[in-house]
Amino acid sequence: MNEGIQKEVLPSPVELIRLLDAVARAQDRKAFAQLFAYFAPRVKGFLIRTGLAESVAEEVTQEVMIAVWRKASYFDPSRAGASTWVFTIARNQRIDRLRRTRSRTADHLLDLSDEPDTPPSGEDIMIMAEREEEVRKALATLSNEQATIVKLSFFSEAPHSEIARELGIPLGTVKSRVRLALNRLRTLLDRDI
Amino acid sequence: MTINHHPSDETLLRLATGALGAGPALVIRVHLEGCSVCRERLTRFEAVGGTIIDEMRLAPLAADLFGRTMERLESMPSTLVTEPGPRKQPDLGIELPHAMRHCEIGPWRWLGPGFKWSKVKIAGSPHAKVMMLKGKAGLYLPAHGHTGMEFMQILSGSLSDERSQYFPGDLDEADDEVNHRPVVGEKSDCVCLAALEGDTRLHGFLGRLLRPIVGF
Ligand SMILES: [Zn+2]
Repeated sequence: MNEGIQKEVLPSPVELIRLLDAVARAQDRKAFAQLFAYFAPRVKGFLIRTGLAESVAEEVTQEVMIAVWRKASYFDPSRAGASTWVFTIARNQRIDRLRRTRSRTADHLLDLSDEPDTPPSGEDIMIMAEREEEVRKALATLSNEQATIVKLSFFSEAPHSEIARELGIPLGTVKSRVRLALNRLRTLLDRDI
Repeated sequence: MTINHHPSDETLLRLATGALGAGPALVIRVHLEGCSVCRERLTRFEAVGGTIIDEMRLAPLAADLFGRTMERLESMPSTLVTEPGPRKQPDLGIELPHAMRHCEIGPWRWLGPGFKWSKVKIAGSPHAKVMMLKGKAGLYLPAHGHTGMEFMQILSGSLSDERSQYFPGDLDEADDEVNHRPVVGEKSDCVCLAALEGDTRLHGFLGRLLRPIVGF
């Protein structure tokens, strides 16, 4: 694709947090439109990558964005960045959708247990942002194979067979490779704990 | 309270990605309630998911998706649908973890001398194999193995097996290579929450005991 086409300026992590805050406090539609423009195509891409059909992925994306709007006040920027929070919503909506199609006894629960008790301080938010940055750096430090292993785990319900296929290794050795990749990731992250 | 036994990286990663089944996920959530170390570990795995979202190739959206979404938002009641109140649960003699508040929990039933169980049902996941087990102080549980993973969180009392000792807050993962014979600590009864993964079956006497009644 031509790089020139996508010259939009991407919102920074801090900007995404500000936009969520504007939605939470003032139900700011312009802020929501920006969040939608950033997250909806990415969430849909993610859902397709996990195996949902295009049309289902779009429906679930809509549900994810509705949840972002409605639950914005439960977003706690001392715990997770905006993208991480949206990821957990997408993950939960996807599981919900799969369970509903399987059992048809949907019991849709909004988990409000994560409601922040006190507004986080600027310092809390900074600590969170550093932690997310460390995760990003650690991922970039992993070997290609190890990064692939970690990422494939997010896309597949049976990641082991997909990892075997993608890396061209026997299924029997995947378990130990996953363990090695996670050990390495942990070593990289533990330096900062 | 010092916690000595934690879920593995693999398990926390699977919880973060959504690949862990409802039963094991419940047991791990109960562990997380009491373990800030693992909450932090989970957050980091979830942050990997955040990175994946950020780096995701954009999928084209229907041109009117934003408009339709706003229409749906406008037609919705403005107040949040609050979650249903906690279920009424039988008094099992212990305080149940917050993570179990929506579960349907059965009364204690006899499983063997000094050994009781209670069925735990998770809304939306009728096939999850989850149960609470209660053993009398000093009880030897039947030796058993499993075809897949067994997750067990100690809620009260203590338990030990050939590998280690487990106290409240501890989470034990046993895979198909583990054959164990747990013993309840001498000081008090032990209550734990246990889940078997997917189509895992128990081998040995415990399996023969549980299968006809519990379906494990
Ligand atoms: Zn732990």
